[in-house]
Amino acid sequence: MTGAGHVSAIVVTSSTPLWYATRATGLVALVLLTVSMMLGLLSSVRFQRPAWPRFVTLGLHRNVTLLALGFTVVHVLTTVLDSFVSIPLPDAFVPFISSYRPIWVGLGAIAFDLMIALVITSLLRTRLGLRSWRLVHWTAYLCWPVAVLHGLGTGTDTPAGWVLALTACCVLAVAMLTLWRLALTWADRPLAAASGVVVVVLILIAGGAWLHAGPLAPGWSHRSGTHSAAARK
Amino acid sequence: MTAHPAAAAWAGQPPAPGDLRLITSDLPLSLAEHIDRYGPPQSADRDPAALITEVERSGLTGRGGGAFPAGRKMRAVADASTRSGRIRARTSSVVVANGSESEPVSSKDEVLLSHAPHLVLDGIALTAAAVGADGAYLCLGAHAPTAARAVAVALAERERAGLNAVPVTVTSTDGYIAGQETALISALNGGAALPTFVPPRPAERGANRRPTLVQNVETLAHIALIARFGAEWFRQVGTVRAPGSALVTVTGSVARPGVREIPLGTPLREVLRRSGLMAGAQAVLTGGYFGTWLPLPAAEQVAVSEDGMRAAGAALGPGVLAVLPDSACGLAETARVLGFLADNSARQCGPCRNGMPALANAMGRIAFGPPSRDAVGWVEQLTGLVAGRGACHLPDGGAALARTALRVFAADLRAHTASGPCHRAGRAPALPLQNGLGR
Amino acid sequence: MNSEPKKSQPPGQVELRVNPIACDAHGLCMELLPELISADPWGYPIVRGGPVPLRLQALARRAVADCPTLALLLTERQ
Repeated sequence: MTGAGHVSAIVVTSSTPLWYATRATGLVALVLLTVSMMLGLLSSVRFQRPAWPRFVTLGLHRNVTLLALGFTVVHVLTTVLDSFVSIPLPDAFVPFISSYRPIWVGLGAIAFDLMIALVITSLLRTRLGLRSWRLVHWTAYLCWPVAVLHGLGTGTDTPAGWVLALTACCVLAVAMLTLWRLALTWADRPLAAASGVVVVVLILIAGGAWLHAGPLAPGWSHRSGTHSAAARK
Repeated sequence: MTAHPAAAAWAGQPPAPGDLRLITSDLPLSLAEHIDRYGPPQSADRDPAALITEVERSGLTGRGGGAFPAGRKMRAVADASTRSGRIRARTSSVVVANGSESEPVSSKDEVLLSHAPHLVLDGIALTAAAVGADGAYLCLGAHAPTAARAVAVALAERERAGLNAVPVTVTSTDGYIAGQETALISALNGGAALPTFVPPRPAERGANRRPTLVQNVETLAHIALIARFGAEWFRQVGTVRAPGSALVTVTGSVARPGVREIPLGTPLREVLRRSGLMAGAQAVLTGGYFGTWLPLPAAEQVAVSEDGMRAAGAALGPGVLAVLPDSACGLAETARVLGFLADNSARQCGPCRNGMPALANAMGRIAFGPPSRDAVGWVEQLTGLVAGRGACHLPDGGAALARTALRVFAADLRAHTASGPCHRAGRAPALPLQNGLGR
Repeated sequence: MNSEPKKSQPPGQVELRVNPIACDAHGLCMELLPELISADPWGYPIVRGGPVPLRLQALARRAVADCPTLALLLTERQ
């Protein structure tokens, strides 16, 4: 117990500029990805106001996503370059091979891969055809929650109040818009809409339970596998 | 083009200009009778390119309603199949014989298939050889049992005689929109029987994703005769711009309704006279539900051909001529037909899915509703809104029907607008509606 | 009926076309190109025929890329 606490203390107090950058860019990327999700959902519910035409939603969605990807790339680079914990570049692309918090870093790799796929297919949308593009774009519903979990699982700032509040706002915003989106499907396919609502609610409950028992409970860094990678390069 | 060597052994004569070409007996011709009447079927090893040239020279246009030059279509498919072949010299194309005849008032295809199935099957075999097809589909309407029977018998005869070099698959189509060219192909490909967006055109990519030649069964019958007797023979009847003969379905206020073969360009009055036009006819619906109205007797001189009809603001389509008696109300009939079109559309395209029911309702208000001043303006606006904005031509047909109705029944229109429906509007429908729709 | 070849365009010109089956009246195209595309009473696009003016071609390409159902098409002639 003291050994693990000692290790966590080492990790927390040894802060380099790169480590700060990783945490900062990670949070910003999460916020941007959340905004991107919200704009995508607004587009799918055909949100439109006299002063907010649809092409604004779409244009912002595109630009915010690119910005999110940019911040994610920086986030990955600072993580890799940070010599304190050994996370080589392949760990950012191939899930679960990392020696540092393998599951939670792995989720980040998954989210990163999905983001790249989403962006590339969207840039090539007119050439790919609607069906293929749509198939890949559905994975956005996977990408975002995985990114959130990655942030909560790897983030050493998770227990901080403001981080929790920020994450909660992001989750709430996306959940509400997703429910709005599902409400539109209710007319045509009530069963699908109902199942969707159930899934959203279950995920929120499960996520909350995991957060409580996991990152917010003592000893998380040990349980998530920090110590196995605390070995210097 | 000289006649096939085997034809020299045939003792018969090509049909003379005054003779019927397509339907020459009351019963279906057996294979032996068919050969006796027209000569032996041309074999498939003849020069395929020569047939395409001959059909082009004949000026034959599609008899299914589109009136597209048949030779040009054949050439497009033949070129596409040559172009797209990579490993082999050619990609096999597909021939689709459209006998679905989904126009409720038309029966010429059913009659043709019931009486001269071998002409159609000859046409299929010949065009298949000409465009490099390795398979063919013959699509029959679901409600044509005599045609289906005659075709089955004929195919069996040809099987025994070894004439089915290219396998012919018979299919059944049901529904108004299912007979449309791309809808037919979509169904053959295992999809819904609904029109698809063009491009790609069927000639480029159609059934089984291969270049596909879609021809009406009557067109194929003419091709079978052109292959035997040549382009010059074909042009012996008809006009320069509309050569050959065509089958028309004459129905309505005539003593002898039915299918007739006429030389193209025959004046409307003559065609109707032969069918026993009865006194008191106010208008004729040309081209089917998808068509146009012409006033009687004012349009008597109009030549029954695509160009003749177009010059009069009408369309020949698949050769439907439905005569409306004085006892009917043209506006009411039009409203019902528009309702039929709206109900039978594919509902894929917003302008048609919204516009056609609106058009039918608007015409219905004029025909059956209280007097209204702005109803006509709304109908005219709707015709402009639906025409040309769908993936197929159904809304175009509805728009043309509505527009010509307003013109031809102008007197009724004035009366309805001023004082409401005439007493004729409440009568039983003169034009049959497949799904029993009517007021 | 749908086999008629398209009218030929002078070279270097582009024309807008809507695939009416794919179109679901999202309405982005008419927001971006009100000069060329207007709405019918049910929100579906009415495209003005003819070549797209040079100054609007960039916007037209954007509208084509932005259409949620890829129903707007730009047909080109070399």
